Amino acid sequence: MQEKLFYRILLAVVVLGLFVTLCHLAYCVYAYQHCSIIYFIGKELW
Amino acid sequence: MKKTIRQLAILAAAVLCFVAFNGSMYLLLTGRLSNNFSGTSQAGMLDVAKYLPHEEASDLARIETDFTLTGELPVLDGAAALVPVYAAIVDNVYPVGSVTYEGGTFSDDNYYGENFAPDSKMQYKNTVRGYKAIVDGETDILFCASPSAEQTAYAAEKGVELVYTPVGLEAFVFFVNAENPVDNLTTEQIRAIYGGTITNWRDVGGADRIINPVTRLAGSGSQSAMDAFMRETKIARKSLFAITGGAIGFSFRYYMDGIVGNDRVKMLSLNGVYPSAENIADGSYPITVPFFAIYRTDNDNPNVPLLIDWILSEEGQTIIAESGYVRIR
Repeated sequence: MQEKLFYRILLAVVVLGLFVTLCHLAYCVYAYQHCSIIYFIGKELW
Repeated sequence: MKKTIRQLAILAAAVLCFVAFNGSMYLLLTGRLSNNFSGTSQAGMLDVAKYLPHEEASDLARIETDFTLTGELPVLDGAAALVPVYAAIVDNVYPVGSVTYEGGTFSDDNYYGENFAPDSKMQYKNTVRGYKAIVDGETDILFCASPSAEQTAYAAEKGVELVYTPVGLEAFVFFVNAENPVDNLTTEQIRAIYGGTITNWRDVGGADRIINPVTRLAGSGSQSAMDAFMRETKIARKSLFAITGGAIGFSFRYYMDGIVGNDRVKMLSLNGVYPSAENIADGSYPITVPFFAIYRTDNDNPNVPLLIDWILSEEGQTIIAESGYVRIR
């Protein structure tokens, strides 16, 4: 694989990964503020 | 060839990093978040349709009484936890046909799925919007816990004076996951946990795990009760990592035990006393709070004081007790 092509693919993977992670974090913040705390605590892993 | 393998390994490692991070976050957090405003989860918290007055299948306390309201019927509204109480009052003393439930459809504009007709004498707006409705004159009697500072300020701003009549007792409870080894805390330990002084379950006799002190929506009945419980101690901002720790939350006893009934959480004893109906009634449980029938002083509906008097009578108090709460008289 040519260096240029490799860096382009790597950049695309990182950008896509960051985008998905940011969306996931944003959903978490929203859902945490509005979730049922009884269910949240009930599903805790011990 | 070696170069290509190295490049592919780097790409695979990058993908794996994101997968591992998001996967861990899902296991620790996202998978546990049930959106309270979605139809399914809200119905699981309180299905109003189970408490509709004058429906044979409804889960309501019923007594023999000669008291019946006629004429201008007061509109009743209240907190989620008190729906069984005021629905039972309507069921026992309001004429059939005074409640029109059109079926709850949960949506962004209808968070609680309530869908009573505008002329229905029973409504369900829950605490935050219920307080606004009583101040704005849309409701005659509201059944709720103590108001928050904002709700009191809203009434003052509108020049509205409210009468708070205590009609029953309820325990303010703290709960944890059923697998959490801690069964009892002192009131001072709880203030220290929410105040940020105690941050690990190990410090209160539990496992070596961060404590995640969970709070509620500002203005909700339970958050207002928590603010009052904390007294001068300010609820501390918790660390970001606390979200992955063992959580502690608070609520009202009957809402947890009688309405939601989730057996994966357990209520904690406080100062060694479990929040049972007996311990609330005899005053040994340390945080017992009254709940109120609230109305505007300028409400000239003669049925409002009549109904309040009946709620405080032997018959009304029996309804309170049979609805799962503790009588105040």
